[in-house]
Amino acid sequence: MNPYIMNPYTKIVRVIVQSCFVWLTTMSLPCAGENSELIVNPLVSQLMQSQPKMVKIYGAGGMKGLESYQSGFLISKEGHIATSWSTVLDSTKIRIILSDGHKTTAEMVGMDPQTEIAVLKMEEPTESYFTLDAASLPNIGDRVFGLSNLFGIATGDESVSVQRGVVMAVTPLSAKRGRMKTLYQGRVLVLDVMSNNPGATGGAIVDLDGRLVGMLGKELRDDQTNIWLNYALPMDVVSGSIRRIFDGKTESVGRTDKLVPSKRPHRVSSLGFSLLPDVLAKTPPFVDQISPKSIAQRSGLQVNDLILLINDQRVDSRRSFEELLATIDRADNFSLLVQRGQDLLRLEIRP
Amino acid sequence: MCSVAEEVAVRIAVEPSSIVLQAEAVRIQAIAKASRSTVGVFGIDGQGGGSGVVISEDGYVLTNYHVSDPFGNRMRIGLSNGEMHEAVIVGIDPTGDLALLKMEGRTDYPAATILDSDKVRVGQWCFASGNPFVLATNLQPTTTWGIVSGVHRYQYPSGTILEYTDCIQTDAAINPGNSGGPLYNGDGDLIGINGRGSFEKRGRVNVGVGYAISINQAMLFLGHLKSGRVVDHATLGFTVTSDDKGRVIVSNILESSDSYRRGLRYGDEILALANRDVTSVNQLKNILGIFPSWTRIALRFKTADSTVDTYVRLGSLHTPAELNEIITGKPLEGPPTPDRIPPNKDTPDKDIPDKDPVPPSDQDDPTKSQKALPPPIVDPMKDVFESRKGYGNYYFNRREIDRITSTGSHGSESNSKWPPNLKWDWSGAVAGESTSFRFLSQPKEMSMTLGDTTTPLDPIRGWANSIDSQALQSPALAIELWQRWNSIGPRAMGECTYIGTTPVIGYQEWQDICQVTTGEVESFFYTSPATHRIVLIEIQSDRRQDRLEVYFDDYQMTELMGLNGSASESTSRFLPKRIRSSFGPGTPMVIDFTKVEVSEEKGSE
Repeated sequence: MNPYIMNPYTKIVRVIVQSCFVWLTTMSLPCAGENSELIVNPLVSQLMQSQPKMVKIYGAGGMKGLESYQSGFLISKEGHIATSWSTVLDSTKIRIILSDGHKTTAEMVGMDPQTEIAVLKMEEPTESYFTLDAASLPNIGDRVFGLSNLFGIATGDESVSVQRGVVMAVTPLSAKRGRMKTLYQGRVLVLDVMSNNPGATGGAIVDLDGRLVGMLGKELRDDQTNIWLNYALPMDVVSGSIRRIFDGKTESVGRTDKLVPSKRPHRVSSLGFSLLPDVLAKTPPFVDQISPKSIAQRSGLQVNDLILLINDQRVDSRRSFEELLATIDRADNFSLLVQRGQDLLRLEIRP
Repeated sequence: MCSVAEEVAVRIAVEPSSIVLQAEAVRIQAIAKASRSTVGVFGIDGQGGGSGVVISEDGYVLTNYHVSDPFGNRMRIGLSNGEMHEAVIVGIDPTGDLALLKMEGRTDYPAATILDSDKVRVGQWCFASGNPFVLATNLQPTTTWGIVSGVHRYQYPSGTILEYTDCIQTDAAINPGNSGGPLYNGDGDLIGINGRGSFEKRGRVNVGVGYAISINQAMLFLGHLKSGRVVDHATLGFTVTSDDKGRVIVSNILESSDSYRRGLRYGDEILALANRDVTSVNQLKNILGIFPSWTRIALRFKTADSTVDTYVRLGSLHTPAELNEIITGKPLEGPPTPDRIPPNKDTPDKDIPDKDPVPPSDQDDPTKSQKALPPPIVDPMKDVFESRKGYGNYYFNRREIDRITSTGSHGSESNSKWPPNLKWDWSGAVAGESTSFRFLSQPKEMSMTLGDTTTPLDPIRGWANSIDSQALQSPALAIELWQRWNSIGPRAMGECTYIGTTPVIGYQEWQDICQVTTGEVESFFYTSPATHRIVLIEIQSDRRQDRLEVYFDDYQMTELMGLNGSASESTSRFLPKRIRSSFGPGTPMVIDFTKVEVSEEKGSE
């Protein structure tokens, strides 16, 4: 038997003890004063401590079905922010609002296409941030809290929304029959609360002690059952991704140096494909057409592929793809990471 | 993983700790207590279904306007003990989505304990109680447990006129049918009225985000709702925008607004409203949204060279015609009317109030439970409804005027009505000066003397002129109105409307307010809910100008000769010893009375 199926029963007692303890502490207070409940409720004060670590993120979108906002949390004194890698970040200017209402902007440090986690950095340092601990893994049945700006309810200095839930399962996303349409197929924490709403992605999951134990993922709906999944990426996955982004080991390090164009570079046209017309500030580099018997076709590139990386460097627009391509000598091989449907494919382009 | 089975065995064997059982017992108790006050709201034919909460032992029930609206003027209330009672609509607040209902005939209705919802904090336990999906045929409420996800939330009107300001956000499941029902804290005390969720692509069921109107807002509106009127929300007469530093700046202002008269101008920064800091445009809307029109609240703003603390009177958000359109169902220009979208329609609208799943006309709904409902056991509702334009139920307006003008409740003869046709003679002096004051009033002539100057006053004509020109003798008009209110009463003075309860500067308790059209001018009488004595009379002629405000202070028992037709017999009555008079909240002229003489006016009989 799958141990994860039995495990909830083992944890029920613990959950009741945990949740009721907090609750009882609130309830059983003598009426010392009208504000006494507020001061000593440990859950309230714990959640108040988590709030300054949360940020509201605004960027591209706002069109039909695509929100222009999402959630994130601070992870370093230098002002690094962990969030979901999404179309919201496809903006020349990523706007950040801190919990006290302070407005600033952030730059993309890098992203991990496997987990769809991105790290941003805002200009100013911060005193409030979550410590990343890969060992902070909740058990099935544990009480957790989701902090996110779902539905964009909070603006300015307003606190992000808090929801309470229980970890129902720890299981690979790919285990779902019929499979959700998602790039990430690894382990997730399945939650019993309606957490993964618009704008919630990138939000924090904390435990009763206020420790960061996961990051809320993107909205996922099963096409067949019309069921929405509420889930979070577990901390080992989140911290692993962030560490790889920091270490530059992930494929996704953004370019920092000045690009040196090759004298005899590759060109999109000579490789035998074309991209969607460049109409936006950051037009996603989707493959529009492929010429028969071209290098592109021979290498396995297909129409509607979205190019994410070229030689492990992040491509955030058609323009940046063309700039990066122009640095590679036309005699050299290079690699592409493309998203095709819900799969990630690595293609080797050999001229 | 091999230890999992052992772990299971060990843990299952463990008895629940006493602290768990104790907590559970407390929770059960809180839910049991709170459930008693939760009611189901049905149409008079027993159909449909929303929720509500009993807020007073004499049978006032709060629910959502979008719940009561389809049911018309009379409906049925299902108590949690299975009893069905009839109720009438009292007052409605279409903008704030509140409706006040009244059951009659008993004084032991199970009222909820009302808490100060400003003390609610994110992370506290709470639970929603109500009748989601009209599940309960025995009227036992359904409880859904959660935490407070956010406080002081602002939710845009979003295609409807219902604006939720300063509301409480919870992850307790709010589903169709929960509308109008109570949100309780973990102790089972009332903190809000559930009514709305963030519904987007997941359909019109719980999405983990529900909103409750704060019970504080409901209580601020309660006095107005009891007037039986269609009550309105407020406007400050100016709009704001936030600048690049996050300051809230006046972007437009009406010259006719009270704010303009208090010195607010384009470009000034709003610092605080109603003694709460304004840090964002949403916050300003939050604070403004919890007050009914008519309210006067504190405003702090910053001009180019100073910080100003003042009071502003809030205007009405809608015109009477607009409000009438709202309640008669005719659409306003643009947005659709609320509560007309079928539950399963795939609509992209967000934040629409949850819809009751069983519209009154729906014959085929399997959740319909009306056949099982017992017949009403109480029907004392005859004569408790009176239709009138601009009112939910005019009967209650008359009832409130009767209440504030009654003398019975506070007992003694010293507060009783004065006979009509008296000759009054008030003498005193302007405080801090040697200027003497005298006001002589008979049914057909009046005069006021200030120092050496005596000014004749007409009992009917010339009042607008006096007020418009801010004439010195204006305070005498307020004294005259005081006499008339206490002798012939407001109904004999002119068209009279009870407005509600409202704050008065210098008084902790909110005062009853009544508007009377007296000839050329509008008069506003503020009376104490406890003693029914007049604390303030305002007279208005031109709405673009400040009202005359005359405060009646320091009521004292006064011996009077000449009442009851006998010159030798004395009577004790409460009379004000001082008045403060000003136009707007300016420096008042204070008059201390030294002597008041009253005698029967023989000639007029």
